[in-house]
Amino acid sequence: MIGTIAFRELKTAWKIVLVVCFITIIYSAGMPTIFPLYRSSIAEELEGASRVHITLPNEQQENITLTWDSLENATSYMVLEDNRSSMLTARIKYAGSETSITFTKDFTEKRYYAVMAVLEETPDPVLLGIATTEIGDPFKELLENPAYKSFTGGRSISMLEVKGFITLEFFILWTMLAGMFIAYLSVSNVAGDFENRHMDILLSKPISRQRYLAEKFAAMTAISLVVSLAAAVGLVAGLSSINSLNELSPLATLMSVTAGVPVLMVIAAVGILSAAGFQKVRTGMGISFAFVFAQLFLRTFGSFSKSLEFMKTISVFTYWDYSAAIFDTTFKVGDFVLLAVVSVVTIAVAAWVFNKRDIPT
Amino acid sequence: MSGLKKSDDLNDSKLANREGMRQESRRLEISEARRGRVDKDVVMEILNLTKMYGSHVGVKNISLTVQRGEIMGFLGPNGAGKTTTIRCCLDLIAKTEGTITLLGLDSHRDAVAIRRRTGYLPGDFGLLPGKVKSFLRYLLSLSGCDSTKKMVTLAERLDLDLERRTNELSKGNRVKVGIVQAIMTDPELIIIDEPSGLDPLIEIEFQRILKEEKRQGKTIFLSSHDLSQVETVCDRVAIIKNGQLRVVEKIQALREKTGKVLEVEFADQVNLKEFRIDGVSNIQEENNRVTMIVHENLNSVIQALSNHRIINMNLRSYSLEKLFLKYYSEEAGGDGE
Repeated sequence: MIGTIAFRELKTAWKIVLVVCFITIIYSAGMPTIFPLYRSSIAEELEGASRVHITLPNEQQENITLTWDSLENATSYMVLEDNRSSMLTARIKYAGSETSITFTKDFTEKRYYAVMAVLEETPDPVLLGIATTEIGDPFKELLENPAYKSFTGGRSISMLEVKGFITLEFFILWTMLAGMFIAYLSVSNVAGDFENRHMDILLSKPISRQRYLAEKFAAMTAISLVVSLAAAVGLVAGLSSINSLNELSPLATLMSVTAGVPVLMVIAAVGILSAAGFQKVRTGMGISFAFVFAQLFLRTFGSFSKSLEFMKTISVFTYWDYSAAIFDTTFKVGDFVLLAVVSVVTIAVAAWVFNKRDIPT
Repeated sequence: MSGLKKSDDLNDSKLANREGMRQESRRLEISEARRGRVDKDVVMEILNLTKMYGSHVGVKNISLTVQRGEIMGFLGPNGAGKTTTIRCCLDLIAKTEGTITLLGLDSHRDAVAIRRRTGYLPGDFGLLPGKVKSFLRYLLSLSGCDSTKKMVTLAERLDLDLERRTNELSKGNRVKVGIVQAIMTDPELIIIDEPSGLDPLIEIEFQRILKEEKRQGKTIFLSSHDLSQVETVCDRVAIIKNGQLRVVEKIQALREKTGKVLEVEFADQVNLKEFRIDGVSNIQEENNRVTMIVHENLNSVIQALSNHRIINMNLRSYSLEKLFLKYYSEEAGGDGE
């Protein structure tokens, strides 16, 4: 009977799926609840920017003036200048006890200024605040970083909004965790049948090897869906506990998570392919874990520059556009179908490989 | 479609031209098999089977035919190629060369159809976790079989507790599960690979089951280590060594060829020269107890015996075990592993 193997697979895996769903719900429900705390701590950091004021060149004057609020126990101040928000290549622009400096704008690019205060009691200077020659919110600049943008679908997002917070903090980890779980389960379920010597009996029954793999894959698809739904349930519960459902609707949440199901299907298919090809749990696990990480790296590196963009297009994670769902409540059906097709093709390849291989004794 | 016309002639010429027309006949046989036109009484036909594992020879050029309703024993030392042959038949491993036709179907292309009508007990296998009953039910549903009647009957006869969990089972009980799953769907062909670990009473019951299946017209291919098992249940036996078939013979014929063992205990010392008769070999003496193998001229032997006072006498078949040892060791330098 069609579906017997898939059904048995689900019956065997239900315990581990239940445990994973439980952990998923704790994680996804817990994440939104730390958002209020997170927002207030970031807001404090941003306040620092308001302690530093910048006056840019205009009709009346050509110079840039930087002034800052004095700190009670500060002995002196230091201004660092850089053209990157990271301040990694900063040089000292000023050191002294004044609370204001004026200098000529002899550059065209954007520059960042960090004002540090040197305190009596400690040798390390503390950050008083940051200012830039353009827009005043330095935190926003950080999110312009391509590494972050790869996670936000190129959007400029604010971490002070729950949408931005969920997009970055929740999904960065979730894509990896869900991918690894599915990789683990799909490899161990197929390669385990080889290692535990189930194959001789199973394949002496009237089932073809392609049917065996197809049903294993069907079961993994169902598990991917269940785990994704658990994440959606957890997120909605967490969002409702901080009264943020008006900002991020349950529908958008559901879309953002379920858009990942075909990504998990591709990972499951790759896991099944490596298990059918190598017939060993350890080898299969290594290959499919490497696949998950490589795919994540490809997406991140692919966002760094135009010339690396091809990397992004070959990463399955690129086609899991959770930010489109979160910000625009858009579900990309095309991407969904594309990945589902890729996963089915991968399973077809796995069946072809499996048919070529001897069952080991 | 010239193959269609030729196929009738082919049945006659097949044996004669087997070597010469190998390629041609293989092609035609496959097409014959597809139309179910092969001899209905041949359930298993292995033709020039070769399996290479890289450069290592698994089996080489094996040809073997098993008739419907017969129990064929398959014997050989470890590593001789018994399991390889069986796994090629079930398409678990790909053959390098040759044709295998089971139930008139091609072993590779029609693998699924063959497995629907075949039961298989692997030599080494793992059981899925859970209760024995649910494992067997799962296998039944894979076979598309609803009835658990035979499963329950077999389990009862073999004294297998269906409520036990598979991971708690001893070796013997695991073999019982293997036997039940191989036979429970009432397959036409039962392939058994080295069943061992059964206790003596269950072993007898198992042999009884095999004989009953045979009586119902089932065909059984039994690879075994247990020579008494083979001797009791098999009609014919094929002996394989170093990947090559050494002999295929009826068990009865093998025994006749090799003679009987005569054991005589005399009251007094006897001169062994008296028994140097044509057709008598391997004469040995220990404490007035004489053993010899009698191939023919039993009358003359008894005449010679009648000159002495005999305390005890026993005439029995030459043990199959000795016979196999003879075949196993016949080839010089053969490593039995």
